[in-house]
Formats: sequence, structure tokens, C-alpha cells
Amino acid sequence: MSKSVLIDRRTCLKGVGASLALPLLETMGWADTVDGKPYKPPVRLGFMYMPHGVIMDQFWPADAESFLSSPPPALKSLQPVIDQCLLMKGISGVPIAPFNGAPHALELSTWLTATLPDPAKRSEIQISISADQIAANFVGAFTTLPSLELATMPQTWKENQEGLNEAYYSHCSFRSPTQAVPAEINPRNVLNRLFNKQERGGGDSESTRMNSLDRGMLDLVLGGASDLRRSMSLLDQRKLDEYLDSVRSVERRIAAIEYRQKEAALEKSGVRVSKRSSSDSAPIEIKIPEGDKRSEYMQVMCDLNVLAFQTDTTRVSTYIGSTPNGVSYPELGFNNQHHSQTHHNNEEEKVRKTAAITEFNISQFAYMVKKMHSLREGDGTLLDNCIMMWGSGLEDGNTHSRKNLPFILAGKGGGSINTGRFLSDTSGNQGDLLTTLLACAGVPLDRPVGIATKQLKEI
Amino acid sequence: MSDRLKLRMTIPKACFHSGVIATLVCGFLSTQPSDCSAQAAVEGDFATHKSEAEEYFRKRVTPFIKKYCIDCHQNRRPTEAGLSFTPALKSPGHAAFSQAWKKADARVKAHDMPPEGMEQPTAEERQMFSNWLAKVKFLSPKDPGPFVIRRLTKTEYANTLQDLFGVDPAIADGLPEEVSGEGYLNSLSPLQMEQYLTIADKVLDRILVTEGTPASKMQKRLLGELPTCETEVRPSAKRVAQSLAHKAYRRPASDAELEVLLQVFDLGRHNDLNYLAAIRLMLKGMLVSPQFLFITPADEINTDDRVVPLDDYQLASRLSYLLWATMPDDELMALADCGKLHEPSILKAQVKRMLMDARSRALFDGFGQQWLRLGDLQEKPFDPAKFPQMTSEMRTAMYDEVRLLFENIMRENRNVVELIDSDYTFLNENLATIYGLEKTITGPKMRKVQLSDGNRGGILGMPGILAATSFPNRTSAVKRGVWVLEQVLGDHVPPAPPGVPALEVQDQEIVANLTLRERTVLHQTDPVCANCHKILDPIGFGLENFDAIGRWRDQDDNGEAIDASGELPGGKHFSNPKELKAILAERSDQFSRNLVEKLLAYALCRKLEGYDEIVVDELMQEVALDDFRMQTLISAVVTSYPFTHRRIQE
Repeated sequence: MSKSVLIDRRTCLKGVGASLALPLLETMGWADTVDGKPYKPPVRLGFMYMPHGVIMDQFWPADAESFLSSPPPALKSLQPVIDQCLLMKGISGVPIAPFNGAPHALELSTWLTATLPDPAKRSEIQISISADQIAANFVGAFTTLPSLELATMPQTWKENQEGLNEAYYSHCSFRSPTQAVPAEINPRNVLNRLFNKQERGGGDSESTRMNSLDRGMLDLVLGGASDLRRSMSLLDQRKLDEYLDSVRSVERRIAAIEYRQKEAALEKSGVRVSKRSSSDSAPIEIKIPEGDKRSEYMQVMCDLNVLAFQTDTTRVSTYIGSTPNGVSYPELGFNNQHHSQTHHNNEEEKVRKTAAITEFNISQFAYMVKKMHSLREGDGTLLDNCIMMWGSGLEDGNTHSRKNLPFILAGKGGGSINTGRFLSDTSGNQGDLLTTLLACAGVPLDRPVGIATKQLKEI
Repeated sequence: MSDRLKLRMTIPKACFHSGVIATLVCGFLSTQPSDCSAQAAVEGDFATHKSEAEEYFRKRVTPFIKKYCIDCHQNRRPTEAGLSFTPALKSPGHAAFSQAWKKADARVKAHDMPPEGMEQPTAEERQMFSNWLAKVKFLSPKDPGPFVIRRLTKTEYANTLQDLFGVDPAIADGLPEEVSGEGYLNSLSPLQMEQYLTIADKVLDRILVTEGTPASKMQKRLLGELPTCETEVRPSAKRVAQSLAHKAYRRPASDAELEVLLQVFDLGRHNDLNYLAAIRLMLKGMLVSPQFLFITPADEINTDDRVVPLDDYQLASRLSYLLWATMPDDELMALADCGKLHEPSILKAQVKRMLMDARSRALFDGFGQQWLRLGDLQEKPFDPAKFPQMTSEMRTAMYDEVRLLFENIMRENRNVVELIDSDYTFLNENLATIYGLEKTITGPKMRKVQLSDGNRGGILGMPGILAATSFPNRTSAVKRGVWVLEQVLGDHVPPAPPGVPALEVQDQEIVANLTLRERTVLHQTDPVCANCHKILDPIGFGLENFDAIGRWRDQDDNGEAIDASGELPGGKHFSNPKELKAILAERSDQFSRNLVEKLLAYALCRKLEGYDEIVVDELMQEVALDDFRMQTLISAVVTSYPFTHRRIQE
């Protein structure tokens, strides 16, 4: 590995840990199999979200041929990789009764759960574990981060619909039925997190020692917390369990980092540990934008997602590209809020603006997918080993319909997905789709996701 | 009440910590005698109400449901609109059904239900069904709700670090943003846990020096003298653990908890860390412990009880984080140490003291701005060509104007209705330009200004509120109307139904030539929209003289004269903002009830339901008796049954 990591100077000056990242990145990779055959890179699973649905006649292709030859306006940005994509029409959303007055609180929170909140406990979080977290529970054990959750907007929208807990409005990942997972919105924090950058002095050996001390300390704190738990009411105990679970997760993360550091030390002393193929592309460069242009911001979040997959720092990611609240897109030349435009009543201007916002969001997804397709990994590209899903929680924002939820899949999922197709009459629901994707990613399931009743064989 | 006055077994655990203040406070204040007879009367009333409500349901509501509703809304799959009355007929008071009653009432009142073509109830029957809503609460069992161990919010956590270690609260900026109060997501994820570790390191980097260099002031304050010989090392670490844990855990640490901290210290020592480095590891352990990150009870619970009073330390934290968004100060801790804080007179005196303290600004920054929906004023987009005035400084001044009025009424303990109608406000030169008062008010400092224009004064005439309820380029009568109904009067406006019927295409041209008012009135021609819009539009239009950033105008964007007249339900007519304000100000009962409800929900970090309504009824009596004064209102919430108690079983 002679290639150095391309992290630009500005980023370094701002204090992001290129020096720390380096030894880690060099050892990222996967071991050869015992029988000597080259190792198959793992399948990575990524989700990206936009609220409020699409302008349908600008999203759904007329037929399978035109999908490839001249994709509809909303999908234009995907044209260069359209043969890497799969589009399915006919995936329905969870029916939202009795929460008919809360379409926007539910479009996001049901997106990866395919489940409705428990009506009897609507003011609390009581839903089900989301597909990304199911995957993280399984494949997360192999990486330093079990999963990566990103968002463009802070998850602080406060609007009460149908008496539902406000968090349903801005969260889609649930670690357990009662535990919503917050997303990171600051690219610099994400970068630090990916490379375990801590703003602390000391060399590698010092940092290894501190890590192992931290782990010991956390062990003792955990023990203390378990004592505390015994003196508590059942209700308190359940809440404390979230704490215990989070601490254990951090402990595992520290252990994974220590493991990587040991590998790095071996590598330094001449023992070859890295199994990355020499023809694999070098880790991509991350430039943190200085302005507040939405496209630049979303692209750096996409880059971080790519980098996290490329370096096998995580195998599961969820990016809430936009949330169903007062979001506007000044970059597109208008200040109107996304939501107000989607209630367009077929007014030309609003339709145009809704379409522009949709195109904008899909083009960020396209940016990410194209980048993945440009990176070599093993015998193919990074995208070949990924399942990237873009989607919305409504079909049509104007009527809140959820009959044909728009989903775009990209990537071959390590050979499990047959791309370059438009399936115009798929029959299934969003739970079926998520169940199928988890299966394609090799995640064993003890039960289907949410309302799923089957796997979609077409995929 | 009876639970609150029950004799408590709390033993003054650590009065020696608190020193002078504890002695003073504990010495001078004493418990008020309980009034058992009044209490019994209240309980008796309650029982009467309950049996009346049961009878009302059995004799009147049940036949109504059986006649008009149950054919569609019963237990079968799929349930019509997800609503089944089958379980409600058995247990109408169940909390799970409280939302459904509200919705059903709204539907029946609006003649949405029963649907067209079905047999329709008479007006009296509809009224009877509507009256049921006021009685449901009496079927709820007395319940303070759980006060599950609560994680500190990002703001609370940051302020607590500042109070403990003198660090800048910005040190916690890496944590995800969150909503405080009602809707608070009281959960913890690995992402936050990682941040807590990172932030703990940053804090300790700032306050501890490496061994050999002279100690900082903060280090000396926290650690005292460093041990000079080996035999002093562990006792010295124990002393540090004990004094810091009491503060950081906001209650005395148990022996077992201290032992854990010392084990962390020992771990460091066994790994060849010097004294300071081992202390550092111990403090890091403290800062990632649940006792620091959460408000945890000090006392073990008796699992036979269903409801227990908060222990005084929990109460001190709950109170302090509510009013100050930071940890309890020495005086609160001293009162908790001697087990007196829960006594109503002492609690009320503490509320007063805390509200007079500058830290109580946190109540506006946390609760007030959320209630009045000012949270995103700083980021809200405005058309820069049309409103170049909306600079960051201007937005700050707009926010501060509302805050300063809120704080003024709070600190001077004035009638809360002054929030709607006051003859003064707070301006600086920048904001004065919106009022057209820039000639008399100069300089950047916000100051109290007497107003002569009756259209101004009070939140309805404040640029911050008017801007927050506008579109980026124009006013929105609908948004303003909804804001007044929901934030001021506490009504609930249901969201617009999806697929709002389009105005006919051939009308488009006509529509384009209408004034905003004429256009908005179109809402009322459609019966689906009319039910809500006929109430909320006129209110919004009453404020139409204020443009999208709150400047007075007599003509709208198209040069048409503004018509700000309208009527509120009940036939009250107004012709300008001043008169609208006056009508709203007369509804002090409704306004202050809304404030009590919103504040209680914020304080409890949950939605109100079931029994809470009875609590609010009681609080309202207390507040009305004292002329709706702000401090009284806040005290009432803090001393209320659900704030001072918790349910510990499902």
C-alpha cells in the first residue's frame, strides 16, 4: 500500500486526524478464506430518505425500455449508472389508521420499521426495531461502528399530530421498540467518529493504553450501574437498560479499535495483515465545505457514507437526507417550504418546485452511487457490493397516498440483486421490501420486518 | 395532597455538607399544618363526579354510540379508520382512549360524523356527546405518571458541566440537538455515549494539569491538596470522590457508588498511572456514570407502593432543571440534605427565589420559546430582497423582546394576561425601526419602552411572533390564526385534510386577482375546510395590519386597503389588532389554563392525559385566586401532585 490517504490540507489544518486515520485505513480489509480463494467483500446496506413523495408522472418510467434509454426527469441524474439501478412500482406503505391525521409523523418513522406506533402508548416511543438496526445487530459486530446514522437537519421538530410522540416526526432508526437512534448532522463529528479521532495527545501506544483503561473503567461503571439497577423500579430499570446497552456498544467499539491498532502495529513491523486487493481504489478524499450550500453539505455526508463503506468502518448506514418539517431549498432559487409545495393541487408552479426538490434529492443519491461505482473493490466496484436504497415515505405528497411508495435501489448487493430493470407491477409492501433487502445482505431474520408477509422474489 | 403531606422518613443524610445555608433554611422554615377536612371534601367531590360521569356514560353516551357509531367502529378487521368503540364501551376512562374521545368529539361537532347518508343525531344529541368530553377525566384513576429516570438534555448537561467545572457549555456542542420538555426523547444511544466519553476527556483536559506543573485554581478547588505520601493517596482519592460525587450525582453517593469510583482509581494506579492521572480516570468514570447523566432517585423504593413521592434530591433536580436548566445550587441541596424541600411552603419559597435569579432565563429559552414557537426564528428563511432587515441581530432582538416581556412578568409576579396586553415593551434601535420608533430609541441595548400605540404591546403585536407565523415573503392569516388558537388559547386545530379539493381550473384567473383575504375566504366556501377556517381565518386577518416581519401597514402587497375586522366564535366583533387583543385578554381563564397545561407538560416531559386534567382544574383554582400571577402559576405547577410524585408500577 503505497498510496497515501487523500485528506486535504484544509481538513488537516482544521484538526481532523489524518495521522490517526492513516494506520487504521491501511489495515482495513478482509481476510482470505481458509481454502485460499480470494475473500468476497461484505455486502453493505445504505438507506437515504426524502419526505413528501414525488410527482408521480415524473418519477415512474413509462416502461422497462425507456427506464434504461431515457429515464424520467426525476431520475435523470442516475442516467450514467441506470444499469446499476432497480426500480419497483407497487410497493405499498403501512396503512396509517388510526393515525390518519399524522401522515408526516409516520412517513419517516414507518419507513424502516414497516410498523405503526402502538396506539395505546402513542405519546411514548413504542414501535419496532428498524431494518437498519436489525442489520447492525448482525453485521455490526464485524466493524468498529455497528451502523452510521446521518441527517441533514437537527431532529428537533416539535409538532404534535394525533398525540404521537414528537420524535416520530424526525427519526427513522430504532434500536429497540422504545429507543429512537439520533442521527449525526455535523460532518466533522462524523469524520472524527469514523476514525476514532480523539482530541488528545500521545502516540499510538499511548492511545492504545488509554483505550484499554477506558474499557476497564467502563466495565467498573457498568458494574456499578447494575447495582443501581437492582434498587430501582421496573420502569426505571428499563430506561437504565438503554444506558447499559449503549455502554456495552461503546466497549465493543473500543475493543474493535484496539484490534485494528494491533493489526496496524503488525503491519508496521513487516507482517502483512491487510487483505485489501492491491487494485482496490484508495480511500476517498473528504472535503468539509465552508459555506452552507445544501448540495455541498449533502455531498460531504454522502462522501462520508462512501468512505465508511469503503474502509469497512461500518456496513450499515441511514441518511435522513431531509425531514418532513420546515425545510426549504434556497439553492434552487425559491424559499418555499418543501411541504407547502407538495400540496400542489396540480398548480403548475408548485408541481414544478416539488419536482425540482425531488430531482435535487435524487441527484445527491446519484452522486453517492456514482462515486461508489467509480471505486474499485475486489473484482468489481464498491457499488457492486452495496445495496443502496433511496426512498420516500409517501407516494404523493398532495394526497398523502402510500400505494406505490417510490424506492430506488442501486448496487448489486454482492450479486444478490439483478439491476438495470424497472418492474412496473411488483406486488408487496414496504415490509416485504425491507425483509428482502436484509436477506440479500445476508442478515438472518427470525421474523419478517413489520407488516411483511413474504420476500420479493423479483429482486 | 394526602400523599404529599404524608410523614416522610428521609433522614438528613448529609447536613454537614451544607453548612451555614442549611442551618439557616432548616432553622427558619417549618412545615405548615395539613388541612385534613378540606382534603376529605375534595376527595368526596371527586367520588361524586366520578359516579355522575359513570352514570352519564351508561345512560346517555352508550346509547348514542350504539345507535350512531358502533355499526362501523367495532372490533373487526379492518377497523374503520382504526377506531373501535368496543373496548371503550367497557372501560371509557382508559388512558388509551382519551385521544379517541377528543377526535370523536371534534368529528361529531363538525358534522363529519356520522357520515352523510347515515342516520344523523339531533343537535341536542351532538351537544350531549360533546359534554361527555368534560366528564371523561373523572373516570381516570389518580395517577401522577411515571417519572422514569431522566437523562439530562444537551443544554442541561452542558450547563451542569459549566457549574461543576467552570467550562464553556459549548464543550457539549458535539451532542445531537434535542427537544426539551413535552416530547423530550428520553433515551440514550451509543452515539451519545461516545460523545459523553469524548466530552469528559475535553473537560478533564481543561481543568487538570499534568503532574509537576502548578495546579490551576479549578483543580485546587476540586481536588484540594495533593497527597504527599503513599499512605495518603487512597484516602485523598476517596475524599475527592465523595465531595465531587455529591455534587455531580446531585445527591449523596452511596458507599457502593463510592467504591466503584475508587475501583476506577485503583485500576489507574495498578496500570502505573500517577495520582493525578488516576484521579482523572476516576472523574471520567463519574462523568459517564448513569448517576451523573440521569436524574436518579436517592432512595431505594418499596416495590409494594404504586405511587411514591419524589425524594428531596430528585425534587431538587427536577425543579432546578425546570427553572434553571442546570444542577441544583447549594441552597437547594442543603434543603434536600435536611429533607425539607418537599414541604409546600419551602418549595414555593424556593421557586420564588429561583425565579428572581438570572438563571431563570432558562425557563424562557427552554419553555417560553417552545410554547410561543420562536425556536426557529433565527434560522427561518426570509426573502432577502424583500426583507433585508432580517439580519441575525434583528432576529435576536425580536426574540429578546418576547423573552424580556416574559421575564418581566415572571420576576415582577404580574398577571399572565399582560403577555397578551401590555402598554410597554422592550426595544433597541434596530428593533425600533420596525416600530418606527428609531428616532427616540438608539443604541444596541434592549430597554423597557412605554408604548402609546394600543395595537402594539403584548405578544400578538410583537415582530418576532408575527415573523415566526409568516411565510418567507408574505403574511399568512391561516398560520397566525392557528398560532393564536393553539399557542394562546390552547385549542387544537386539526391538520388540513389531504388532497384539499383544488379550486376549479377555470377559477384560476379569478383567484389571481383576489386579495389575500378574498382568496383565503375561499376556504370557507368548501364545507370540509369551512369548519376550521371560519374560526381561524378571521383571527389571522385581525393581525393583517402587521406585515411578514411585523411592520405596521394600511395596505397589503397589492396596494389594497387592509380589512382587519372579524368576529370570534361567540359573536365578539373586532376591527383592528387592538380590539382583537382586548377580546383575547378577557379570556384570562382560557389563556392561563393553556399556559398551565403547556407548562405542566413541559415540566413533566410528557403529554397530559387522564387524571392530569383534574390536576389542571385544581391548579387553575389556585391561580385564579391570586389574579393569575405568573409566580403563583409556576409555583402551582411545581407543587402539583404529578410534579412531586411518581408512579413506579405499570
